[in-house]
Amino acid sequence: MNTMKWLLKREYWEHKGGFLWAPIVVAAFIGLLSIGSMLFGTVAGNNKGMFHANGSDFTSLQHALSSVSEADKTAFATGLASGYPAIAVPVMITLGFVVFFYCLGNLFDERKDRSILFWKSLPVSDRDTVASKAMTALLVAPVIALTVSLALALLVVLTLMVLAAINGFNLFGAVFGHTGFYLTFVQTLAFLPVYALWALPTVGYLMFVSSWAKSKPFLWAVGVPVIGGVILSWVNMLADSPFDLEKYWLLVARGLGSVFPGSWISAFSDNPDVHVDAGNAMNMLLSASYELLASANLWLGAAIGIAFLFGAIKMRRYRDEG
Amino acid sequence: MSSVLTARSLSKHYGKQAAVDRINLDIAPGRIIGLIGPNGSGKTTTLKAALGLIPFEGELKVLGFDPRTERDDLMKDVCFIADVAVLPRWIRVREALDIVEGTHPKFNRSKALAYLAKTKLKPEMKVKEMSKGMIVQLHLAIVMSIDAKILVLDEPTLGLDILYRKQFYQNLLEEYFDENKTIIVTTHQVEEIEHILTDLIFIREGKITLNTTMDEIAERFTEVMVNSENYAAAKALAPIDERSVFGKTVFLFDGVERSTLAALGDTKNPGIADLFVATMKGTYA
Repeated sequence: MNTMKWLLKREYWEHKGGFLWAPIVVAAFIGLLSIGSMLFGTVAGNNKGMFHANGSDFTSLQHALSSVSEADKTAFATGLASGYPAIAVPVMITLGFVVFFYCLGNLFDERKDRSILFWKSLPVSDRDTVASKAMTALLVAPVIALTVSLALALLVVLTLMVLAAINGFNLFGAVFGHTGFYLTFVQTLAFLPVYALWALPTVGYLMFVSSWAKSKPFLWAVGVPVIGGVILSWVNMLADSPFDLEKYWLLVARGLGSVFPGSWISAFSDNPDVHVDAGNAMNMLLSASYELLASANLWLGAAIGIAFLFGAIKMRRYRDEG
Repeated sequence: MSSVLTARSLSKHYGKQAAVDRINLDIAPGRIIGLIGPNGSGKTTTLKAALGLIPFEGELKVLGFDPRTERDDLMKDVCFIADVAVLPRWIRVREALDIVEGTHPKFNRSKALAYLAKTKLKPEMKVKEMSKGMIVQLHLAIVMSIDAKILVLDEPTLGLDILYRKQFYQNLLEEYFDENKTIIVTTHQVEEIEHILTDLIFIREGKITLNTTMDEIAERFTEVMVNSENYAAAKALAPIDERSVFGKTVFLFDGVERSTLAALGDTKNPGIADLFVATMKGTYA
């Protein structure tokens, strides 16, 4: 009997709307918008229109495309091959919101509707329950969002290539022949462990508030740090600025915002010697992300997140629902 | 066989107020115990302590486990319905069965399906689409399909109509209960469960005021309907309660020989409800 499997399924069933449908709806919107404009562009372009390419004006899309040099074509294919997942950024931002509100509610809602009395009648420990909810936030939801993102990115890039090919601009060889195309796919998935570790403090903090708050977990989770900041600013105004407010707000942002994928780029160290271009952007981003594994910021945050989760387990164990 | 539940000096305080006040309790297996008390008397608190849902003071063992530290083991053999309609609203019948089957080693799915076949519930139905009575049917079907040693029911039928309530207790008695199981039930609808109980515990202001078997109650307590000419004689035997009905007086006696009382008027066994009202007088005063 695999209890954890069923606990994860249970979370997925309950929150299918957020974990599955929200990314799909956003992806469908982006897909329709981008594919629609591509179609519009090609259709309009072949009827009448002016195109500007390589310093000359053309009257049709086909002419314009055929004038593109081999070198430009390669550069374009490289950019496409290594950057195509970028179109799914809104999907990943959606994931941030979904995970944020999921964590804020996952231990609060069951107390509010008293269904905790049913869950607690099953021989499942509080530790396993809290662990399943944290794993859902840190792994299940991101895996689904990433899958949807990559499906969207592939769909859009394929549509683009097909439309380009119809108009005499064949990119298939250049893109599919580019190792970057396949590498990018794997690299996108490789962000997952960094996300899980980076998001831990926010997930832990929100779940702790969720397990503790008697009402309005959002106000507690967000309001308390904000009011704290306001008080500190007052003190700074009255006294001789004893607090470093910038650091305080950075800390608050780290605590509340780390569920947003890519929020860790704020922790990258500046490296002015590196030249970033379309071809190596993904490499740079991934290696810089993994360099965070050597930073105190990431591990300290993860440790604090785990401490909060232990707190949530204790709260769930003994919170009297009256 | 030894007790399935033992409490020694069990207490629970909310602030300075004692919700449960040094209770001693032994519950034998194979019994159906009614835990009866007014609102706020400490019934639910006692049960919550036994189910490991709240911390408490004193000693409490359920099936040999301490609910505070060994809850995870305890819950394999203890099942409960605490309050009505606590099934999560989003869940479908099928999903609920899947999860219980996946997490409870003593759940028998085919049994649950057999119970559900007798209701209007369908596998794809969501709890939020069900009436309160249907939710209880689902919950009961799940609970009855778990081979637990102790089943705790805290106001399981509150707010249900009489048809659902009757059916609930009938199912429980006919299809679930056996000599290896113990059922502890609290309810305000005492009359409805009186015939299924084997034991009765009255609780008032955190203390147990009566703890006896139903057989003993029949022996111990007698109700007599007395004409006015016998009023003084009856009064002399120290009744625990009196009330007037159609110009006659109904007395309730504790531990007075029935033959003695028969001379004063018609005797009968008191209902739990009358006993309850008599012993709980002044609770809200």
